[in-house]
Amino acid sequence: MLIEIQDIFKIYNEGKESEVRALDGVSLQIDRGEFVAIVGQSGSGKSTMMNVLGCLDIPTYGTYLLDGTEVTDLTDRQLARIRNREIGFIFQGYNLIQELDALENVTLPLIYQGVSVFEREDRAMEALERVGMADRAHHRPSEMSGGQQQRVAIARAIATHPPIIMADEPTGALDSKTGRHVLEILRELNADGSTIILITHDEGIAAQAHRRVRLTDGRIVSDERGKEAAAV
Amino acid sequence: MNLVQAFKMAFKSIAMKKTRSFLTMLGIIIGVASVVVMVSVVAGQNKKNMEWMEAMGNNIVEVSAYSYTGQDMDAVLNEYVAALDKKLVVGITPVVNLWSEMIVRYGGKTYSTENYDDWRDRIQVVLGNESYGVCNNYELAAGRELSFLDIEKENSVCVLGGGLKEKLFNYTDPVGETITINGLPFLVIGWYQAKNIEDDYSGMDNVLLLPYTINRTLNKNQTISQWKIKCTSSSATGEVTSRVQSFLNGMFPVDENGNQMSGWGNAYSNEEYREASQEQAKMRTMVMGGIAAISLLVGGIGIMNIMLVTVTERTREIGIRKAIGAERRSIIAQFLIEAAVICGIGGILGIIFGCMGSLIAGKFLLNGMILWPDQGIVMGAFLFSVVLGIIFGMYPAVKASGLQPVVALRAE
Repeated sequence: MLIEIQDIFKIYNEGKESEVRALDGVSLQIDRGEFVAIVGQSGSGKSTMMNVLGCLDIPTYGTYLLDGTEVTDLTDRQLARIRNREIGFIFQGYNLIQELDALENVTLPLIYQGVSVFEREDRAMEALERVGMADRAHHRPSEMSGGQQQRVAIARAIATHPPIIMADEPTGALDSKTGRHVLEILRELNADGSTIILITHDEGIAAQAHRRVRLTDGRIVSDERGKEAAAV
Repeated sequence: MNLVQAFKMAFKSIAMKKTRSFLTMLGIIIGVASVVVMVSVVAGQNKKNMEWMEAMGNNIVEVSAYSYTGQDMDAVLNEYVAALDKKLVVGITPVVNLWSEMIVRYGGKTYSTENYDDWRDRIQVVLGNESYGVCNNYELAAGRELSFLDIEKENSVCVLGGGLKEKLFNYTDPVGETITINGLPFLVIGWYQAKNIEDDYSGMDNVLLLPYTINRTLNKNQTISQWKIKCTSSSATGEVTSRVQSFLNGMFPVDENGNQMSGWGNAYSNEEYREASQEQAKMRTMVMGGIAAISLLVGGIGIMNIMLVTVTERTREIGIRKAIGAERRSIIAQFLIEAAVICGIGGILGIIFGCMGSLIAGKFLLNGMILWPDQGIVMGAFLFSVVLGIIFGMYPAVKASGLQPVVALRAE
């Protein structure tokens, strides 16, 4: 099992009147090579779920085994290493660094990985080519459309060849045509062996995944397998 | 992440916000420049002082004494010094002030002791004995010094300072020529090498030395009350000072009311003055440097302030960097290097302005002295500003690195 979480709680203001249970005892297993959509309305806890799965946030209680390693015991440095090498993030708002051009943005995780100067530019270009953005390598995010920015963000996410890609509403800010293109890329990555975890509120997009985990009020209410592409 | 990359990022981020980076640097620039200028001005003043004292003669004891009973103090002191150990004393000369104008003429050229239009052309007629040259650090260029006989016989001879020799004789040999002083003829027997010190207001090179016994005719018989004793070393100077002082104290005892009834006498070493002045210069350097360092500190606080603003502004960027795998130390390094680079560039600019300021200060405050800041001060100021950057960059950097990625990502 690649990802295995057991009774994960994420509780804000615990014990106070304003207590919020963003995740309320969630257990889930995701296997290598899966394409999972985590579906829910806003406030259902799906973003918190991704933050916990992506080691961006620490759960209040529960265990999280990533590739057999207990993540909640890791140091800050080890977590940084996991975020760098094991997981690639794609965000709704792209989260590119505005001051850097496309190539520099994609190079960044390789710099943190410690890849040599000579190698990392080639690898970053390779990632940009993969998403069809090689010709925009020296454009700043402000000089690109939303779809282009999201493709650069995908290139950044795959630059270190992480086994897991997490995408949080990757199409949320895009029109349907560009959105389809982005999903197409994700599907290709999945076909090449990456595990994709897609967070969305959109049933239509969720239908593209092989498995849909539905969240409501911080709990899993259903876990369906099987492609429902026909429903779109 | 390696260091080169971190430096690149720092430069990039500074270049991206030029105005703000410059304003941040301004505090450091002004601070460093003022440290450099202040310290070099004090050092320049000190150097000038030392040069002066060197030219005036070192290892000198100045004596002033006056007897109410009309005793010839010159004879008394000459006798006393002659009896002192030759290991201590080189010689003694009276110092006589002239109270009337002296006009020197030679070959159609005229110079006066009272030319107040241009100090460069003002000459100085001094009276002394055979030890005058050695007591005042003059070196004979040609001819001879005054001799004991010249003094005894009140010979009408003179020795010229290098500057005056050039004025009167240009480059020809003055020895054997006759000049007139207030119409009286004097034979030139020798001349001193010019000391060529800057701003020779006192006219050390425009000196004209006569046997002091001439005093009686030329200067209406002024009583001699000041002497200079040249000693062999600085420790001998101290020794001679205390010996002469106790001799004078013995000569002029104090009565029950604390008054010296028969006369007074003081011995004063300029070695002490020299040490005191060096001590003072050190104090001045510290005080002035300290004031300037405070402004540098204020500059450093400005850096911290800006770095904190930067951290807040760039929280999202920090979140992104952490999300894609930046370690805590990478983030700390990024912000620290940025602060250090800002301070370093500010320090370099400050040093450049400081050097310019020192040159200007040298020109206007120290009469055209070429004031070049000391290398140690320059290096020190640079290192201090970089260290300041690291110290004041530390807090914002640590603050930035400690953010949870998810918290940082949520920031707008």
